[in-house]
Amino acid sequence: MKTVFVDVERCVGCRHCELACARAHQEPVPDSGQPLGPDSPRSRISVELGVDFLTFPLKCRHCNPAPCVQVCPTGALYRDPEFDTVLIQEDLCISCGMCAMVCPFGAMTFAVSKKTGKKTAYKCDNCIDRQKKDQLPACVEACKTGALTFGYVNEIIKEAKKNIVLDLTRTIQGGQKTSIPENMLEFQAIRETLARLGPLPSSK
Amino acid sequence: MTIHYDPETLKKIVQERTIDESAKPVLARTIQEGIETAWDRLEAQQPQCGFGQTGVCCNRCTMGPCRIDPYGGSPNRGVCGAGADLIVARNLLDDLNTGAAAHSDHGREVIETMLETAEGSAQGYEILDTKKLMTVAAEYAIPTNGKTKNEIAKAVALGMLEEFGTIKNFIQFTRRAPEKTQAIWNTTGIMPRSVDREIVEGMHRIHMGVGADYANILLHGLRTALADGWGGSMMATEVSDIMFGTPEIKESWVNLGVLKKDMVNIILHGHNPVLSEMVVEASRNPELQQLARDKGAQGINLAGMCCTGNELLMRKGVPIAGNMLNQELALATGAVEVMVIDYQCIFPSITRTAACFHTKIVSTSEKSKVPGAVHMEFHPKNAMETALGIVKLAIENFSYRDQNRVLIPGKPVKMMAGFSVEAILGALGGTLKPLIDAIAGGQIKGAVGMVGCNNPKIQHDFGHVALSKELIKRDILVVQTGCAAIASGKAGLLLPEAAELAGDALKSVCQALGIPPVLHMGSCVDCSRILVLAAELAKALDVGIDQLPLAGAAPEWMSQKAVSIASYFVASGVFTVLGIPPKIFGSANVVNLMAAGLNDVVGAAFAVEPDPIKAADLIEKHILAKRKGLGI
Repeated sequence: MKTVFVDVERCVGCRHCELACARAHQEPVPDSGQPLGPDSPRSRISVELGVDFLTFPLKCRHCNPAPCVQVCPTGALYRDPEFDTVLIQEDLCISCGMCAMVCPFGAMTFAVSKKTGKKTAYKCDNCIDRQKKDQLPACVEACKTGALTFGYVNEIIKEAKKNIVLDLTRTIQGGQKTSIPENMLEFQAIRETLARLGPLPSSK
Repeated sequence: MTIHYDPETLKKIVQERTIDESAKPVLARTIQEGIETAWDRLEAQQPQCGFGQTGVCCNRCTMGPCRIDPYGGSPNRGVCGAGADLIVARNLLDDLNTGAAAHSDHGREVIETMLETAEGSAQGYEILDTKKLMTVAAEYAIPTNGKTKNEIAKAVALGMLEEFGTIKNFIQFTRRAPEKTQAIWNTTGIMPRSVDREIVEGMHRIHMGVGADYANILLHGLRTALADGWGGSMMATEVSDIMFGTPEIKESWVNLGVLKKDMVNIILHGHNPVLSEMVVEASRNPELQQLARDKGAQGINLAGMCCTGNELLMRKGVPIAGNMLNQELALATGAVEVMVIDYQCIFPSITRTAACFHTKIVSTSEKSKVPGAVHMEFHPKNAMETALGIVKLAIENFSYRDQNRVLIPGKPVKMMAGFSVEAILGALGGTLKPLIDAIAGGQIKGAVGMVGCNNPKIQHDFGHVALSKELIKRDILVVQTGCAAIASGKAGLLLPEAAELAGDALKSVCQALGIPPVLHMGSCVDCSRILVLAAELAKALDVGIDQLPLAGAAPEWMSQKAVSIASYFVASGVFTVLGIPPKIFGSANVVNLMAAGLNDVVGAAFAVEPDPIKAADLIEKHILAKRKGLGI
């Protein structure tokens, strides 16, 4: 199954993915380039602050079996078999909020549907329309640090394994600990201290 | 929006935000009543963009904006072809430029006021410190024989204004530096040529496609910083002294408790003393005093804020309500009739805060207007009229204060301030020799110039106070300016009694002289006083500043001015530790140059360390190495 894979070490919290997501879902024309306003679609991915100034882009992981699909009393939530993606049939949604309660990632929100005129469940659609045109999901395309990649998990992990082994052997040889540049490691260490001394979340 | 927290949670949030006891009850009020503060806005801004934080975001031209992957992936060049090194260096120079411009433009305004005073067209001003006028006139080789005070002041003002231009090609006050330090600047090619020239050239250099050598850009940054420290800022200090008097040691009070429930409270906030000095005069006007009593107040109470506050504290002993992060809290006491603002470090949302109460914000500078403020524009020629008008407005506004909403916390803390170089010399008996002997003898290991701002990313005042305590404990004398000094004042470190917190050796020196272990040297332009003190020490020992057991520290810095200050400290040979990471970590080369490479260029470099104990370790190690170098 193809998925949007997150490399948390590389997320810099720039929120380009959020902006790109909102733009990709502009109506009636996606990516129309019109300025985003209060009535524009909201982003379906959100970058949140963790401890020590680290950030993580939260979005629907399209679980299988998906808790939201399992609890939806009306069948408004369903799985698209071709793209292995959890989707919403808005006219069936009764806005009960059960899906949001069971979602492990806080990925389910509610927004006014253009189709029904009422607030219904609202979440990532894996950019199916873009995928059909052989484009990457908008969030992945927007990510310039490699924090978001799109592909088959096994293939991504295969690549990741190479780096893990490289890092491991680098350490054995007394070299730099990871493939992350030294200056960025120093930066992260400083932010870790700063978080301990200030009001934002800290690991200490 | 009003948020109700349980008392424990509220206490925890307040505790995480500040160590300032006087701020805590008011901060709790802002949270409970939904009065927005910088801490709330910091939270709302999370997460903040990592491209910006590491300096690799470039938004200079319309081929961009561009950003570089700081992890070394693609994209590694902007559309123009600039890589991380160049983008980071240009962004840093941009910040430094802005800071140097802010200090120096402030300086120019003081000089222009002196010019108008000398020409007789300024209202309410006079040349107060003739001794300093004569000293500076001699430095500028201005003939004084048979000349009046005003004639000399005019010539000094014109001599300084000339140094903002491009013809003269050197700045007189750089000659105050020891010859060995000047030699370094000349060899490196960073001797500043004029104040405005370096700033303008800096702006030129960050234009798209002007050079691609990051080191060359950063070297110009050092030159621009020197034009600020030994130029614009030093002129601001010296001319303010000439106009309003060189600070002498005095006692005053600090924290939000300086506001008075039964008086008309006027806060003077910003950086430039030229108008606020007149407000101090105007507040003594008998008719206005009577008007205040007629309105039911006991009188008029002035309180400073940030560096306008420091300027008035140093020269007039006006109490000070707090530093940068206290500005919204001062308003949230509900007890302020008028906050007068000039410029720099004034939250653009300050009128929104004021709107929660009867408080009026009075903007006074044509350069610094704020929507929602009453604009009463200051010019030297109508300075006294403007000042009287401001005080009257405050008195009239007293009737609109809701006394039921007034929350003035606790009691103010006593402090000692006014440590100009002249005042320090005075305390030492007219010569630096006792200080030099104490350093040589090891009673004082060395000295640290601690400067800079507040930053809500670090617990308010903690960085300053914790590092100061740690340094004096290790027998290292601390001199401070700006928000750092105000933080120490609130924490009781600016009192002779604080010597008890110092190491035994420093304690005995402080007790013998009756001085605190942390000395308040003034506003942020008065960091120039620290340079002068360092220069005098170096000259007495016939060494360069870089050979002295000195360091700089900016534990809570946030502003562009701090970039300039830290850079002129380093360029002058003073190792400087920053408590907040500068926006350079996207470039390994820039980091390496600033943290190490500069040692071979100017004999000093930067370090970044938010932890006060570790920062003190770095500083002590540096100081001990310098002592060894001097053979003491």
